[in-house]
Amino acid sequence: MLQTPENRGLPVPQAEGEKDGGHDGETRAPTASQERPKEELGAGREEGAVEPALTRKGARALAAKALARRRAYRRLNRTVAELVQFLLVKDKKKSPITRSEMVKYVIGDLKALFPDIIARAAEHLRYVFGFELKQFDRKHHTYILINKLKPLEEEEEEDLGGDGPRLGLLMMILGLIYMRGNSAREAQVWEMLRRLGMQPSKYHFLFGYPKRLIMEDFVQQRYLSYRRVPHTSPPEYEFSWGPRSNLEISKMKVLGFVAKLHKKEPQHWPVQYREALADEADRARAKARAEASMRARARASARAGIHLW
Amino acid sequence: MQSSTKRMGIMTDVHRRFLQLLMTHGVLEEWDMKRLQRHCYKVHDRHATVDKLEDFINNINSVLESLYIEIKRGVTEDDGRPIYALVNLATTSVSKMATDFAENELDLFRKALELIIDSETGFASSTNILNLVDQLKGKKMRKKEAEQVLQKFVQNKWLIEKEGEFTLHGRAILEMEQYIRETYPDAVKICNICHSLLIQGQSCETCGIRMHLPCVAKYFQSNAEPRCPHCNDYWPHEIPEVFDPEKERESGISKSNKKSLRSRQH
Repeated sequence: MLQTPENRGLPVPQAEGEKDGGHDGETRAPTASQERPKEELGAGREEGAVEPALTRKGARALAAKALARRRAYRRLNRTVAELVQFLLVKDKKKSPITRSEMVKYVIGDLKALFPDIIARAAEHLRYVFGFELKQFDRKHHTYILINKLKPLEEEEEEDLGGDGPRLGLLMMILGLIYMRGNSAREAQVWEMLRRLGMQPSKYHFLFGYPKRLIMEDFVQQRYLSYRRVPHTSPPEYEFSWGPRSNLEISKMKVLGFVAKLHKKEPQHWPVQYREALADEADRARAKARAEASMRARARASARAGIHLW
Repeated sequence: MQSSTKRMGIMTDVHRRFLQLLMTHGVLEEWDMKRLQRHCYKVHDRHATVDKLEDFINNINSVLESLYIEIKRGVTEDDGRPIYALVNLATTSVSKMATDFAENELDLFRKALELIIDSETGFASSTNILNLVDQLKGKKMRKKEAEQVLQKFVQNKWLIEKEGEFTLHGRAILEMEQYIRETYPDAVKICNICHSLLIQGQSCETCGIRMHLPCVAKYFQSNAEPRCPHCNDYWPHEIPEVFDPEKERESGISKSNKKSLRSRQH
């Protein structure tokens, strides 16, 4: 505690934790970094000599330094936080993030502190979100996020609420779309819902608001595509399979589902059946190609001694 | 609080999974949040008791504080449904959108946002927005393209469309309220009851104060003679019902009823 008149105004130095609330006024002075000068001051007082730090000018200089240090610290924290957000948002697009992007959009002139900043960001990503920041390509300084949480069993998948009903509803819609030649007018989808005993805009204990589920969730998750039908006035809209549906399920599977509903065989609908067969053939070819190229890449990287991850 | 521990709350895989999924969805309604929470417990900690949602969120928020983000709770402006999103605490502009949209698309959003804020009803017509395509920064955009971009905004829950007019989605209000209030301090409208940003609402015809529909519902609940809290004049608009999730399930208030409510407000 400094008792001299010159620094009556200075509060007791406090240890500053890593938590940066951002609320403390800029006028608060000494921090833990003042520990050393304090000792010197103490020694000075004992000896009776007047240390420069005891003068008003010296105290102001110390306070200014502390303020600058605090500002720099806050700025660093903020940059780390921004980098975390940047990485999370970028990763959603599933494309690797380059170091130069990070510097350009987030780090700016703190570039020299990049290793420290990215290390702290990585720690936040790990502890808070369960992602590991992995350097994907050392030469080009690109990074990706890997999910470190345990992979989900099929029945644990959340996407459609992890429960059957939503998946079932989606299947019904995919089936309707497929059987109508790969697109179904919006009105037809609502009609089907009503036949199933649902009001599109009425809260349903299993689906929530079905219309919202279909128009927003399924579309946003890319299970369905929602497009305006050209040359219609008043404008009409139609649904078709979204890119995710094409990836996660096949026409043959959906045809099989529809067939079961009607207690018939898939072959009962020859047009759709032929289309489904062609689709199966395409998928088999694509799969074979992908496997072949993966094997080639694995061989190449094994030879070069690079491990992907 | 000044101790050396970095964070107050404890993060487990339950919380991490929850955060990951919340980020995937962007915005969630309360019943969805609870369902998600139960799902995360089921996957990662089957035998633990599920925390109350509020405590669960507060725990996570205490950890998120050092990252300047939080799980924020809001209420939809049209029917008072509680919604949640992960929002930035520091004021940034449309940063979350910045990676999903091109420069001219972001500028289109900004133009739409300005029209919405300036409007009397909180809605901007498609026509008025599209008429501004020539003023956009970045690559030139045709009106046809702009229509698609507006639909993209709707799909990603930044805008809501009703009968050819656009307003802000609850998510956009949650995420951008601070930015909007700081960027358009003169144009923004504020609710007289909750003092938050107001885009859609009812207004007093005498003194001009405004209130959110859910705020009106709560304030005038079971009041036979609703009067303006500011000038005491008779409140001329229809008083909406207070949102009750249980009640909704039984009686099924359809969306079409609410559409007509809007047209009577101004």
